Amino acid sequence: MSSSPPLGAGPAPTQDVRAEMLKGAQAMATPAPPSSERGITSDLSVDEALLLHAAGWEPLDLVVGVAVVSVPVGVWNWGRGAISMASDAHNAAVDQAARLLRGECGKVHGHGVVGVRVEVSVQTHHIDVELVGTAVRPMAGQSGKDARGTDAALASPFVSDLSARDFTLLQRAGWMPVGLAFGASFVYAPRRSAGTAMKQTRQNVELTNYTEAMYSARESAMEKMQHSALEVGGQGVVQVKVTEGPMSFARHAIGFTAWGTAVKLVAEAHQFVQPDMVLPLDDAVITFDAQSLRSAAPGKGRKR
Amino acid sequence: MSDLAGPGSADPFDAAGSAGSPGGLDGDLPEAAVRRLESTTFSSGLSVPDFAACLDLGLEPVALVQGFCVMQWGWYGAGSGFGRGLSPYMGVQQNPGTYSETYRCPHGFVSNEHRSWGQNIEQTWVEDAWTQGYHTSYARMLEEARTLGAHGVIGVVDNVANVADTGTTEFHFLGTAVTVEGGPPPADGVPWSTYLAGQRLTKSIEAGFMPVAVVAALASVRVWAYCMTEYYMDGNMGGWGSNMGPALVEQVSKAHMASRQLARKHVREQLAGDELHGATIDVVTRELSAGDEVIDCTLRGNRMRRFKDFDPVALPRPTVRLS
Repeated sequence: MSSSPPLGAGPAPTQDVRAEMLKGAQAMATPAPPSSERGITSDLSVDEALLLHAAGWEPLDLVVGVAVVSVPVGVWNWGRGAISMASDAHNAAVDQAARLLRGECGKVHGHGVVGVRVEVSVQTHHIDVELVGTAVRPMAGQSGKDARGTDAALASPFVSDLSARDFTLLQRAGWMPVGLAFGASFVYAPRRSAGTAMKQTRQNVELTNYTEAMYSARESAMEKMQHSALEVGGQGVVQVKVTEGPMSFARHAIGFTAWGTAVKLVAEAHQFVQPDMVLPLDDAVITFDAQSLRSAAPGKGRKR
Repeated sequence: MSDLAGPGSADPFDAAGSAGSPGGLDGDLPEAAVRRLESTTFSSGLSVPDFAACLDLGLEPVALVQGFCVMQWGWYGAGSGFGRGLSPYMGVQQNPGTYSETYRCPHGFVSNEHRSWGQNIEQTWVEDAWTQGYHTSYARMLEEARTLGAHGVIGVVDNVANVADTGTTEFHFLGTAVTVEGGPPPADGVPWSTYLAGQRLTKSIEAGFMPVAVVAALASVRVWAYCMTEYYMDGNMGGWGSNMGPALVEQVSKAHMASRQLARKHVREQLAGDELHGATIDVVTRELSAGDEVIDCTLRGNRMRRFKDFDPVALPRPTVRLS
C-alpha cells in the first residue's frame, strides 16, 4: 500500500517519520539483551512526556499515597458551628496521603510529583484520600532546572496537581510548585425554629441558615488552604478547585473543600510568556440532539 | 486454541504473501476466522485520523484482530486458596513471598465474637486467575496478528467485564494488526503491540520510543479487619471508650497502598528494563462489612523501548486561541 499524495502544501516535516518507524522496527527485529535496569513507570501522556523532556525534566516512577481516617460516630448529628472533627479528619487524611506520596518520590530520588490526581471520598465514618502522580527530576546535566538546588529538592520534594504542560509553563514564567495546598471545612446549617419554618412555608425566602453555613465553611476552608500554602513556603496558590454542598448522608451539614498547587517565584522576577495569538479557521461543529426527534419538549432541540 | 508458542508455522510472515490461497493461514484459528482473514480486503478499528497517521508512518493495516477469553473464578470450594490466613498465634507465615500483614487485638480475650486478630492478604489466586484470562485473550489476539504476518498491533483496546452474576469474567482484546512497510519481522515472530495509534504513536516513534507490548496487572488485597479497624470504620469504639477523635485507619490505609504498590511491582516484572508509558490505575473496592474489604487494583500501560538517543524537542511556543 502506498501513501496518497498530500492534500495541501503543509509545512515540511521535521523528521522522516517513515525512516524513524523503520529504524524502530529494525530494533525490534533483534531480541533485547537482558537488562536489570529498573524500568521507568509514568502516567504521563505522550505529549506531556515530550514537553517535560523539552523543559529538561524526566519522569521516574508512578507514585501513590492513600490514607483512610476515621470520623467518630455522632459527628454529623445536629449541632451548631463548625464540625471540627470532620474537618480535622479530612485534613489529616490529605496530610498523610501527601506524606506517603513524597516518601515514594524520595525513594526514587525524585524532585517532585506532577499531574497528581486527587480523589477524596467523604463517608459517614471515614474519609478516604488517594493521590496518584508521576515523580520527576531534572535530566542529567540539567540540575539547574530546579532552582531550589538538588539537596533541598530531594529533602522536600514538591507535590503538584498541575499537568506536565502547566508545570512546564509555570517554570517558564519563573515559578516553581512547592506543594499541594489543601483546606476543608464542614459546618452545621442550624435548624430553623418551628415557628420560623411555619412562617416561611408560603414565602419566597432565602434560607439564611444555609447561606451562612456555606460562607462559614468557605472562609474556614480557604483560610486552611492558604495556611497550608504558607507552611510549604508558597507565595500563592494556582488552579484552585473547590467542591461545596450538603453531605449526601447529612443534608444539614455543609462541606467545602479547596485545593490547588502552592507556587513560589524562583526567578528574580516574573517572566512574561508572551504567547502568540492564533485564530482557528475551523467552522463551528453543529451537533444534533437525537432526542428532539421524539418529542417537542421545551428546551429540546438543535444545539450549536 | 493455542498460545503464542503453539502454532507450528515455520515462517508465519509468509502468511501475508499467501493470504489468497486456501490454507495459507497457519495456527488453529476457528474456520470462519480463517475464511475472513484470508480475504484480500483489510479491516481496522482505527478512526480516520488515526488511519491517515498510520499510513504516514509507513504502517499498513492488515486486519482487525481480536482475542476473547471467558474465565470462571475457581476461588471457592475444596482445595481453594480462598479464605482467611492462618492465625498469627500459630506462628506460621501465610503465603511466604507475598504481601501479608497481621494485626492483633490490644484488648486481650473479650468474647468469641470479638475480632481478636485481622490480616491484610494478597489474594494471589485471584491475581493468577485474572492474569490467566487477560494474557490468554491477549495471546489469542496476537496469534491472529501473527498468523496474518503482521509486525505489530496498534490501537489496542481491552475490556474486562463480568458476563453475569455467576463469577465469570470476559476478557476481550481488539486491535489493528499492521505491517511496517519494508520492515523486518519482529524477533521471535511475536508482534509488538500498543494502546497508542495515530499522532500519539507517531510522536512516540519520533521521540525514539518503540512499542513493545501492552502490559497490565491486577493486585488484589483482602482486608480481614481486626477489632480496632472494625471500630474505626464503624465510627465507634464498641464500648471501649467514647472520647475518640479522628484516627488513621492503619490497616485499611496500608492495604490500599499495598494494592497499588503490588500492581506496580507486577507490571514492573513484565518490563525487563523497558519503560511504562501512559499508565492508568483503576481501583475497585468492595466493602463487605465494617473494615472488611476487597481492594482490586489494575494497572495498565504501554511498554516502550528506547531505540535511539532521545533528542528533546524544542520548547513549543505558547499560543492563545482567539475563538
